[in-house]
Amino acid sequence: MKTLWNRTFAWIDERVQLSDVMSFLGKKSVPVHRHSVWYYFGGVSLFLFIIQVVTGILLLLYYKGSEELAFESIQFIMAKVEFGWLIRSIHSWAANLFILSAFIHMFSVLFEKAYRKPRELTWLSGMILLFLGMGFGFSGYLLPWNEVSFFATKVGTDIAGVLPVVGEPLMVFLRGGEDVTGATLSRFFGFHVAVLPGIFTVMLGLHLLLVQRQGMSKPLSYEQLPATDQKTMPFFPNFMLRDLLLWLLVLNLLAILAVFFPWELGVKADPFAPAPAGIKPEWYFMFMFQTLKYIPGELWFLEGEVVGILLFSLAGLVWMFIPLWDKKSARGEENRFINYLGLFALIYIIVLTTIGWFS
Amino acid sequence: MVLVNNNVLAIVLCSVLALSTAFVTAQAQDQCLTCHSTLEDNASAAFKGDIHSRKGLTCASCHGGDARSDDMEKAMGTAAGFIGVPKGNAVSEVCARCHSSSETMKGYRSNVPVSQWELLKASVHGKVSTAGGEQILQCTTCHNAHGIVPVADPRSPVHQRNAVKTCGTCHGSASYMRRYNPSLPVDQVEKYRTSVHGVLNARGDAKVAECASCHGSHDIRPASDVRSKVHPLNLPMTCAACHSDVARMKEYKIPTDQYEKFAESVHGKALLEKRDLGAPACNDCHGNHGAVPPGVQSISNVCGTCHALNAELFTSSPHKKAFDVAKLPECETCHGNHEIIATTDNLLGVSPEAVCSNCHSPETNVKGYGVARTMRALIDSLEALEGTAAGLVSEAEQKGMEVGEAKFKLRDARQARLQSRTMVHAFDEAKFEEVVRPGMAIATVVMGEAQAALDDYVFRRVGLGLATLIITLLTLSLYLYIKRIERSPR
Repeated sequence: MKTLWNRTFAWIDERVQLSDVMSFLGKKSVPVHRHSVWYYFGGVSLFLFIIQVVTGILLLLYYKGSEELAFESIQFIMAKVEFGWLIRSIHSWAANLFILSAFIHMFSVLFEKAYRKPRELTWLSGMILLFLGMGFGFSGYLLPWNEVSFFATKVGTDIAGVLPVVGEPLMVFLRGGEDVTGATLSRFFGFHVAVLPGIFTVMLGLHLLLVQRQGMSKPLSYEQLPATDQKTMPFFPNFMLRDLLLWLLVLNLLAILAVFFPWELGVKADPFAPAPAGIKPEWYFMFMFQTLKYIPGELWFLEGEVVGILLFSLAGLVWMFIPLWDKKSARGEENRFINYLGLFALIYIIVLTTIGWFS
Repeated sequence: MVLVNNNVLAIVLCSVLALSTAFVTAQAQDQCLTCHSTLEDNASAAFKGDIHSRKGLTCASCHGGDARSDDMEKAMGTAAGFIGVPKGNAVSEVCARCHSSSETMKGYRSNVPVSQWELLKASVHGKVSTAGGEQILQCTTCHNAHGIVPVADPRSPVHQRNAVKTCGTCHGSASYMRRYNPSLPVDQVEKYRTSVHGVLNARGDAKVAECASCHGSHDIRPASDVRSKVHPLNLPMTCAACHSDVARMKEYKIPTDQYEKFAESVHGKALLEKRDLGAPACNDCHGNHGAVPPGVQSISNVCGTCHALNAELFTSSPHKKAFDVAKLPECETCHGNHEIIATTDNLLGVSPEAVCSNCHSPETNVKGYGVARTMRALIDSLEALEGTAAGLVSEAEQKGMEVGEAKFKLRDARQARLQSRTMVHAFDEAKFEEVVRPGMAIATVVMGEAQAALDDYVFRRVGLGLATLIITLLTLSLYLYIKRIERSPR
């Protein structure tokens, strides 16, 4: 058996120089310190993304992206396809856990200042991945074509439509017309299964490549320790096995969620019906949605909603380019402002999301 | 005694003399009437018997001018305010000068309401006429211009006996009515004359309903107007104004509890409580202008106006002939008339509360008795199966299982049960089974699907348990392995 394994390895190694990769992985180490636990959330996000790809492909075998058949096809998946209910529930739950895990990953990187030189591009690609992930969520939400998703998409695209100059064309582009119709569904389906996965895969490849190339970031406090006190653990197999351990726990959690809290299908969307009360976006858009509710109708000489969206866009850009303006961290100095900013953003998101969820 | 009689005579003579003097003085003062009487025109002749003349009003009261002057030019001069013959709305406005003023009317000791002009303006007759700017009707159209007498006077065109003819002048003329409402029938008077109301009215019965009794007088609105007295929501109360009046109905020897019964019936609740205009009001069964109680043999036709399928099945059923022979009032025999309550399956069968057992018994009508018993057993079975299926579907749904298709099928079982209730009216066991059996089959299928969903629910829990166990074992093994390799020296 061992001989067969060695022969297979040698056969591949001869062609793609696999031993170089193995040697690289063998030498690679991960810093061990009191914040090491946050390293795992990148891996968890990756694992959840892989689950999304696998379950998404399985759903694609039965899903029909048209106004007339979308709802019915999901009903069919849930009721008739063997383990269809499990695949769909896992896909929905993993999508939400993915966003949650990506948020945790992003905040941990922020607080550790792991974005500082030379990892600016890793942060930037990670932020793009987070935005793409939210795009996956927004486009995927409409695909069951149920009442809640239909009106949430209507509200969401309406909000995009109030942006000055680009708003109207952007809304028409997203909807495939003036209103949310079957054309919007086809378009969102296309975004969800072709456009976004394509861009995401490229960006994820770049992100992982950078992580592997540059290794794990070390916190400032860790870097300042004497070399003898800088504890590490081998990436392979120790860190990878720990990653695997966490992935198994996440898989267990997903199975429990899918069985005990199956994702509801709701009522089929009726474009001519009045919007039901309490239409809400997905939880990860809630803090923005709730903020827009608090902004007065008119602010200065602008529409309140426009001001809100512009402020969020600006905040997003500032956030995305933190590595470029946080010179202090780049120099290896402690920057408490970033900690306060991160803490404020975290509390703001948690509080507004909670209020929005229970209102 | 003689002295008293002389005194009384003296008082009476004095009174007559005084009144005659006053009358002669008033007549003498109305120079318009004096001249026009000599011309022997119709207006002056009619005015002599007019209530207004009797109350001391003169021609000038309406036409303006100076009635005391015997100089025609002065009396009919613009300086004296002479307006001649008023035209259009000015006619009614002249009437309204007094009839809209409670002070003026009190001065004449009249208790005639003072709201007629305002009501007329807001009524359907207050709309603009095709002839010009004035409204369709003026006061004089119905009450006459000269020779107006109180409504209670049999000579009045709006007296109870004459109102139908007065209204019919316009409403019986197709050429006139099509100018305002081409879809409105013009045969109301003819229909009315065939009705119980019309027949009695023609005999001089002053208590019986005529046009104004139902439609109102000055405040008439289209029947489609919810404020109209004959709007479906108001009609039962309009009819009840007379038909629930025990004293009024006493001489006609008819019951007075129809409204109470109707209000409690399934039709009454739908119409009066849910305000469902699809539900019947009194006129939908009895007719309106040609109102008569439906005959024994035509009840299924009346009910069949809405319950078409039931009526059709009944008409072709063996019960039709049997009911006609026994002079039983078709639908009413089982369902009642004004007091019809929501039908339940309890009406069917041979139990004491079932209506079938009123005629069918195991001794006198074995076949009918057997059919009734079988039909009830079948519908009970269908209901029980449907209930069980619905319970299982609901349970599966509450457990988060996808049972949309089973729920959809369940509607077919319910539909079969509703159809079976209609099919009862064929009183044919075979036809009844044709509807009930498929419903039972659907309910059975739904039960199977719902039970499968519940079984799947259990399977998922067991599967989850096993999967969790395997993953947990893997996790533990991995944990122990990690611990081992981390303990061992590098």
